[in-house]
Amino acid sequence: MTPATTPATVLETADRVDAGLYVEVLQFVAREARLLDEERYPEWLALFTEDATYWVPGIENRSRHDRSGTHAPERMAYFDDTIADLRHRVDRFTAPTAWAEDPATRHLHVVSNVEVEAGEAPDELTVRSVFVNHRGQGSTDSAVLYGRRTDRLRRVEGRLRIAARKVVLSHATLPAKNINTFF
Amino acid sequence: MRTTAPMALDLRMLDEGRLPREIFWSEEVYRLELERVFARAWVFVAHESQLPKPGSFLTTRIGEDEVIVVRKRDGRVAAFLNSCPHRGNRVCSAEAGEARGFVCNYHGWSFGLDGSLRGMHESGAYDREPGFDRSELGLTPVAQLDGYKGLLFATFDPDAPPLAEFLGDFRFYLDVMLDNDPGGTEFAGGCISSVLGCNWKLAAENFAGDALHAGWTHASGAEAMLGGPVAALGDPSNESYHVNVNGHCWEFNLDSVGNAATIGDRRVVDYLREHRSRFEERLGPVRARMVGSVSSANVFPNFSFLPGQNTFRTWQPLGPHRTELRTWVLVNRDAPQEVKDAWKKGAMLTFSPSGVFEMDDGENWEGATHSNRGVVTRRQPLHYGLGMESRIDHPELPGNVHRGQINDANQRAFYRQWAKMMNSAGWDGVLETEDAR
Ligand code: FES
Ligand SMILES: [Fe+2]
Repeated sequence: MTPATTPATVLETADRVDAGLYVEVLQFVAREARLLDEERYPEWLALFTEDATYWVPGIENRSRHDRSGTHAPERMAYFDDTIADLRHRVDRFTAPTAWAEDPATRHLHVVSNVEVEAGEAPDELTVRSVFVNHRGQGSTDSAVLYGRRTDRLRRVEGRLRIAARKVVLSHATLPAKNINTFF
Repeated sequence: MRTTAPMALDLRMLDEGRLPREIFWSEEVYRLELERVFARAWVFVAHESQLPKPGSFLTTRIGEDEVIVVRKRDGRVAAFLNSCPHRGNRVCSAEAGEARGFVCNYHGWSFGLDGSLRGMHESGAYDREPGFDRSELGLTPVAQLDGYKGLLFATFDPDAPPLAEFLGDFRFYLDVMLDNDPGGTEFAGGCISSVLGCNWKLAAENFAGDALHAGWTHASGAEAMLGGPVAALGDPSNESYHVNVNGHCWEFNLDSVGNAATIGDRRVVDYLREHRSRFEERLGPVRARMVGSVSSANVFPNFSFLPGQNTFRTWQPLGPHRTELRTWVLVNRDAPQEVKDAWKKGAMLTFSPSGVFEMDDGENWEGATHSNRGVVTRRQPLHYGLGMESRIDHPELPGNVHRGQINDANQRAFYRQWAKMMNSAGWDGVLETEDAR
């Protein structure tokens, strides 16, 4: 359990964010979402730093007073990836034999509730957001996933790059047959 | 319970390598399946390691019946229905954790770790009620619960033969996964579940014997993880088999690390290579080569796994056209932590809802289920005719052994076992089926 944040802390943090920076982050996450919608995976991968981590833990339906929590690093994760692992996944998506990808999935990544805070390192930001991910497949199939992201963005040669992403899904049982996308 | 099947599976059709599509679509078949298969068979419920101490519990389903599996104060494991005898509410809402007992949210009936009724809100009113007997109102236990080398199974049928008999000689094969190391096994932490729009049997039969789909369905996954296609498994130079006992099925070759290599982590393959002589000591030369080889297995009815990737899973039915997949990762308890971690991560990277291999399976099973909506479509039987004359005797391998893993022999054996249970309310002649030669 994380200690409750007092309203004052949230306001102070928000106050410190420069409007130009906030808009730059908004533009960054919106563009990133569009790259995923358009399955431009190599370009999407280029938004990550070489030392990036990408973690989407499995969520367990556990009691409120269960101190082990709903997710933990020692438990199974949908993604527990380095950049090399992400490249493997992209290699599958882009293989001509990825039968399930044809006809193409109709993706929509909606990203909202963006919060920007100073990061732990001087060249980094902590960016929080939520998402709704809709996938339309075949004539009638659709899957909707919801979740919350915490990103560590780093400025590399003047541009924002993702150094770490944690995605906490709202689902214990995944209401879908697969995750043929990223968040 | 019905005494005769409304639509007995025509076994002769299976002997000709054909299967009626109705069994993947019909509500009636499904309802009978819950009675005759899931309410009677030994069904996997937990690995011992998921219940490390008294009070550890998890919730699962046997068929559509919700079950709590819990380690009692005396250290033994019990399993009972997750439904209050008062008005039927579930008494445990979490999927796993630790508890001192289970209290129903509705009227406060509380139950011990052994399922017995301990107390209730306004208990005085019950105490004044003539004839009220707490001892009759515990949570309904399963009829039998037993384990095999760490895996726990339960059955609702008091007449079911013992687990050892139900598994029979399949235990010889299970040891490949469960007893290749003196420290035994455990599940790496966690459980991942997802929902597929398919009939559960299509997934189970796939793991029972469908090596054929590996090279085709999973071409893109192999491309991503191995940089090339899956080797042609049907080549006579590939020494491989289908084996089955009591409907439990394992298809495999003897290449030792073919499956393990797909998870893309040297540490796992190195671990298997380094321990090869230990595997041989414990399992003999043939089974030692099965530990991480290109293979898959299904313990009848719905418990599947992949040696090498070490994904273990159940296909839990949610209707004729819906299945919940729950997955875990099996590791050797005494393996170095970094090897266990690599296995956990690799199993997920390949065989999970986000895995590069598994991602292509669900689509196929959903398509194979939903096409049967058509009445005319359902008239056409499906082809299960590979390897009709592949049965052999093998000096080291027990059960029904068939040469070649590109084969439908195990799938036929799976459905033969299923049909026997569907067609009979008792256990006479249900086990120990000989495959045709
Ligand atoms: S339903 Fe459980 S106490 Fe009433
Ligand atoms: Fe598959």
